[in-house]
Amino acid sequence: MVTAWATLKRNWLVMQRAYPWSYFIGTLGPGVFTIVVALLSYRAIGGGRVSAWFGASSGTSDYLGYVTVGAAALMFTTRMVLWVAKAQITEQREGTLVSQLLTPAMRLPYLLGVAAQAFITSILELCCLLGTALLLGVRLPTPDPVSLAAGILVAFVAVFGLSIPLSAIMIAAGEAHITQNTLFCVVGLLCGFTFPAVLLPAPLTFLGELLPATAAMRVLRAATLHAAPIHQVIGDLSSCLALGCLYAAIGLLVLPHAERRAITRGASA
Amino acid sequence: MRHALRVIGAEAFKQHRRIFGGPLVVFSMLIWPVLQLATTYYTMLPLLETPGIGQRWPVAAEPVRLLAFLAAGAFAYMFYFSLVQSAWHFSFERISGTMELLFLSPASRFALVLANGTGALVQNTWLAGCFAVAAASASGSLHVAHPGMYAVAALALVIPAVVWGTFLNSLLLFSRDSAFLYTLLDDPLWFVAGVRLPLFAMPFAIKAIGLAFPLTSSLAVLRGALLDAESLSGVAGPLGLLGILCLLLVAGTAALLRIGEARAQRTGSMQLY
Repeated sequence: MVTAWATLKRNWLVMQRAYPWSYFIGTLGPGVFTIVVALLSYRAIGGGRVSAWFGASSGTSDYLGYVTVGAAALMFTTRMVLWVAKAQITEQREGTLVSQLLTPAMRLPYLLGVAAQAFITSILELCCLLGTALLLGVRLPTPDPVSLAAGILVAFVAVFGLSIPLSAIMIAAGEAHITQNTLFCVVGLLCGFTFPAVLLPAPLTFLGELLPATAAMRVLRAATLHAAPIHQVIGDLSSCLALGCLYAAIGLLVLPHAERRAITRGASA
Repeated sequence: MRHALRVIGAEAFKQHRRIFGGPLVVFSMLIWPVLQLATTYYTMLPLLETPGIGQRWPVAAEPVRLLAFLAAGAFAYMFYFSLVQSAWHFSFERISGTMELLFLSPASRFALVLANGTGALVQNTWLAGCFAVAAASASGSLHVAHPGMYAVAALALVIPAVVWGTFLNSLLLFSRDSAFLYTLLDDPLWFVAGVRLPLFAMPFAIKAIGLAFPLTSSLAVLRGALLDAESLSGVAGPLGLLGILCLLLVAGTAALLRIGEARAQRTGSMQLY
């Protein structure tokens, strides 16, 4: 707990002094443009309507709300991954990974500290995206507060879980650019952020179910678009939690090997 | 001319050794665009089977045609974006200290930036080019008026892209921060150029901004010639605009190179990063 708190405080300070504006624009941009493209094509191509089957496969006929919630969740995912999965490779690039390994601090609280700071920042940035959507004329229904809070919590667990094995891959490969962008493209396609995942070919839908973000997305949608009470989303909540914890556990098991590899290769990341 | 060709040859060889076979090319020029194309296609799919779609947008009547429309956009965008990426790599010459050496050499400056862009374009896009040709002929989604239009489409894509690349490279003589290129020319570029959205869907102001980028007109020619079986006169408008834009960009590049080099001589900024 001490480690987590200390990491949170340190990262907060770093962020205040040198806020990564280019990442902010780089993640806000795709979100805003996804919403704008959806808005324009909904009016000009769909003529203000959506196909009849969309309601059956997505559970809502509100195309704009559907895409907006998805774009917001995708921005949350990419932003969290950029902070949490890149925490260790950033330490390596700055030359502090070795000192981190020498301290008696455990990995999990360290990563939790990073994630807590990332969570606060990402929520604030998310408000920028949703504010922009509101200005553009997108109207979202009133969400169910309890399921929404639960949805955000499991989304946090899902993304945190995904980030740990990713961090291991990054420090082992000494490379972040390709790994992170491939993950963003795969997650954006498979997890049903901007369209119902059942439209995909069956094997891809199955692969999407293996990623915890898919279930988290369903919970968030149910909470925001349908104001579903929490007992309706309990199945997705628990499967998302289970998957997120599984990914985190795998990541924590692999991480020591990845760290060893990163150190033996040298600090040339 | 021989002098310029030697510069181009040397640069092409350098780009080949630097880029060819690297994982970044495979990912950023093939895998990511294909995944993003699929995402865009599926996101638009729910809007197709709506009443009156045939009058609003005939392309959307069949999913295959929509996919071809979006794929053409993704392909042309990749050409232009590969040059953004190459300009970004050009700024690494500052970091390795070779930018100053390039400008100390007697090589023609224009040939240098031109060769840098062209070399990177070839190394980056051959893989996706082969893939696109195979996909287009296998899917049978091409509708071409006569064989000469293939050449028109190819030239309307490659020449403006190369000119665009030289312009971006010359821009980097001024700035030490190349991340702005990446941020500024990634999402806004595909949006205003109509890569994922037909131009008629956009408000007038955005259309006007889009016409200032050669990608918009390149894309209009590419889609018109290859997907809608337009003849040469059918794409004359965008072709003319492309010609004007290319001339402007070449003139801009020449001016920027002169001013940039004079400024670098005065401030010694070429080795700073």
